[in-house]
Amino acid sequence: MTPLLRFSSLGFSFADRTIFTALDASVPPDASIALVGPNGCGKTTLLRLAAGTLKPTHGDVRLHGKSLHTLSQRTIARSIALVPQNVEVSFGFTVQQFVEQGRTPYLKMFGGMSVADRDAVEHAMELTDTCSLRSRIFNQLSGGERQRVKIALGLAQQPSLLLLDEPTQHLDIGRQLELIDLVKRLRRHGIAILASMHELTLIEGVFSQVWMLSPGEPLRQGSPQEMLRPDLLSRVFDCPPLSGPVLLKPSLKQSERVRV
Amino acid sequence: MTGKIERIRSESAAPSHPARYRLLLGSLALALLLGILLAACVGVVPIPMHDLARSLLGGQALNADQHLILFTIRLPRIFAAAMAGAALSVSGLLFQGLFRNPLADPYVIGSSGGALLGASFGVFILPQLSMAGFGATALLGVLGAICSITLVYMLASVNGRTPVVALLLAGFAVSTMLSYCSYFLEVMDHDFGAGMRVLSSWLHGTINQPTWPQLAVLAAMVLVGIAASFPLTRRLNTLALGEEYAAHLGLHVQQTRIAVIVIGSLLTAAAVALGGLISFVGLIVPHMMRMILGPDHVRLLPATALAGGIFLLFADTVARTIIAPSELPVGVLTAFIGGPFFLYLLRQAKREVFA
Repeated sequence: MTPLLRFSSLGFSFADRTIFTALDASVPPDASIALVGPNGCGKTTLLRLAAGTLKPTHGDVRLHGKSLHTLSQRTIARSIALVPQNVEVSFGFTVQQFVEQGRTPYLKMFGGMSVADRDAVEHAMELTDTCSLRSRIFNQLSGGERQRVKIALGLAQQPSLLLLDEPTQHLDIGRQLELIDLVKRLRRHGIAILASMHELTLIEGVFSQVWMLSPGEPLRQGSPQEMLRPDLLSRVFDCPPLSGPVLLKPSLKQSERVRV
Repeated sequence: MTGKIERIRSESAAPSHPARYRLLLGSLALALLLGILLAACVGVVPIPMHDLARSLLGGQALNADQHLILFTIRLPRIFAAAMAGAALSVSGLLFQGLFRNPLADPYVIGSSGGALLGASFGVFILPQLSMAGFGATALLGVLGAICSITLVYMLASVNGRTPVVALLLAGFAVSTMLSYCSYFLEVMDHDFGAGMRVLSSWLHGTINQPTWPQLAVLAAMVLVGIAASFPLTRRLNTLALGEEYAAHLGLHVQQTRIAVIVIGSLLTAAAVALGGLISFVGLIVPHMMRMILGPDHVRLLPATALAGGIFLLFADTVARTIIAPSELPVGVLTAFIGGPFFLYLLRQAKREVFA
């Protein structure tokens, strides 16, 4: 099976800082991958590289075998949707108007939305359970609502791969579980998911694979059981060892303790 | 009964309803037409409505003086005011979308000042280039507006966003500097000729008395500018998500920015040639339309153009009749209305300003 997305000897550095040197990994079409690692290790950077909004310093990212830099951003955005961590919208756009922006890569220079465009928007809002929010102002939504609406915009792009940047951050435990449910539902709809995650307790049972980034080390890949071992976590996250069973059997009470 | 009223209310409250939207555009267009007719009647020499109507339909209802006043003074002035209002409002809408900031008015952010300086160069330094009154000055005005807005944008934007404080400070500094450069040109002009009178009226914001050929050139600029804004409106909606997000969705951010600056400058320059420095129109009109229609630029554009025409036509008619036979520069009037309105908007943005 050819991978949906492939990073090959990917290197990226900002002016003064090298983030990756030679990263090799691929995302299969049915992937659900949690991207973990300490702050500043390049999780968001990797997602941006995957979405084509950052250009790699060397190596490349291939979508269905084609290098991203040979594709137009419109073409990329029809296959890959990036849901950023923070979105600041100027003016009081409604949720409906916000989600409609997901059709940007499909619209021609002149003319408005077609029936197919409207259907895609409607479907995205149904999947994320945001239909009841449609006439609310985006900037006035709560954190959990906002996250679902952002994902709805991504789904309106009708992507094969959804990139989620810290989807559970700043959400209360109820909203986190709601979001995890949504991720499971999207998997059933055949959308591949690559999500950076801070909440390690939420990974097990939802994501089939974990990618662990650690500064100065090659990318580690494996199943959640293999990767979320206390000894490995305490080394990568540079913190005292955590008690083992907590990570593998998450419960509401313990979730506070294991936040890394 | 109550239920029906409730339903009608909630429908009328929904600005996205297409029939309501068409009704609003129709009413605005009708109001502009009526405004033009009414404004043609009032003045130092009043013209009765039925005589005006008959004369416009080709009849002989007016005496020679009335005919002269109507066709060489009043109508050109009316069209000039309506066009300047539409141009300022649309360029305000475009710049607010570009800066992602509802306080961006062509006057406040210095593009009017740039257009004025460019046009002043045309009047004083290169008068021999002027064709049809102000062919070259209009062109130089566009260049001046493009340069000043690019300068303000570069000074004020931080990572693609323009904080209110940075925008206001950069706009204030650039527009003040440019206005005094124009003033300097005026002082250095030795012959105290026609150029000086033109510039003085520009600085105060008085609608000019253009000739029909001049009006035709400027009407072309305004119409081209508004027509060219239509394909930009949807892009401005996408840009409201922030540059990086918009770029991810496939928007050509840099192209969009350049197009908005060029078209906004064309409109500003046309407005300056028609009426000089008229403040706050580009701020008030888009804001009012946003309150009725919401932030969708696609819907806002035609409504803003029509409402801008009505607003400045009304203001100019008041300005030329309120202390007749003398007249007030319309810029004074819009500053009286727009100044407090601007402060009100600033107060709304206070949290961001003083954070």
